Amino acid sequence: MSSEHQNLPVSASLRSPARMATAGPSSTSDSRSESSNNASGGAEGNGEDATDNSNFECNICLDTAKDAVISMCGHLFCWPCLHQWLETRPNNQTCPVCKAAISREKVIPLYGRGSGNQQDPRDKLPPRPPGQRTEPEPHNGFMPGFGFGDGGGFQFHFGIGAFPFGIFTTFNNWGAGAVPPAPGTQQYQEERFLSQVLMAMALLFLLWLILV
Amino acid sequence: MIATRLLKKELQDLGRDPPAQCSAGPVGDDLFHWQATIMGPPESPFQGGVFFLTIHFPTDYPFKPPKVAFTTRIYHPNINSNGSICLDILRSQWSPALTISKVLLSICSLLTDPNPEDPLVPEIARVYKTDREKYNELAREWTRKYAM
Repeated sequence: MSSEHQNLPVSASLRSPARMATAGPSSTSDSRSESSNNASGGAEGNGEDATDNSNFECNICLDTAKDAVISMCGHLFCWPCLHQWLETRPNNQTCPVCKAAISREKVIPLYGRGSGNQQDPRDKLPPRPPGQRTEPEPHNGFMPGFGFGDGGGFQFHFGIGAFPFGIFTTFNNWGAGAVPPAPGTQQYQEERFLSQVLMAMALLFLLWLILV
Repeated sequence: MIATRLLKKELQDLGRDPPAQCSAGPVGDDLFHWQATIMGPPESPFQGGVFFLTIHFPTDYPFKPPKVAFTTRIYHPNINSNGSICLDILRSQWSPALTISKVLLSICSLLTDPNPEDPLVPEIARVYKTDREKYNELAREWTRKYAM
């Protein structure tokens, strides 16, 4: 196959990806499938099986395709690999193998029997660090204390009868849905204390409503 | 990281099924820095020469192309005195489905068939277009001088 390459005019060799496409992933004469016979991970021991596996290798990472997707032009990729390629050239999204137009919407996820959860691989983000986003500090200017509101008993207690408190606690909970402090920490103790104080206030408020 | 795995795999494949007239491998322990050789193709004025190249892989290989340059001087319209190669698959037409073996084959065919319409050295391109005999002669001379 190399002698075939040598005699190519430059223009033809520059289009070599297109030529690869015509050879197709199923052709064993294709240099990649030929050369990656036992490239699929630890399958080097059993040469013949490995030849078959190379037909299911991602065209980018040359490993057995994970979260596999297939393009309309028939080329197989890991979704994370293809996604990264599409991100690399957002304005010129072409198939790495044959340069046909390609896009997220125009690939088909492949579900083998072994793939336990049949989640669309495109819904999974490729493995990359997620954005680090922290919630802003809640406003606790006009009612100190309520800013600490978090789920659990706190909201529950006020939800029963004290209408205005119910609003505030719900509001605070929604605004500051932060991670509750771990039991035993000082913050946890403080919040327990606050919670009790506020509950007492609510009971007083109820009493006041009844008596007046 | 995909690049390390892929480069190991490409190295394995090169060892198993080396492309004709080319060889490549890492320099020392750095998997991202390779050296390659290309034998001058028989039907070209570079016949008999052995040309050395350096290859630097970016960390986001294969999504970005490797940087390939000749370290051996060569008389060619698309290769300048720094060894830079003007080849579209190394720039805008790069594809992550290309391997270093395919890149080296493309460079081989560039040696056989220069592309004078997109020259890196206009003077050599002019000679190539207007006086092919002189081009062949100079290319052979440079090959003798630098690549043998």
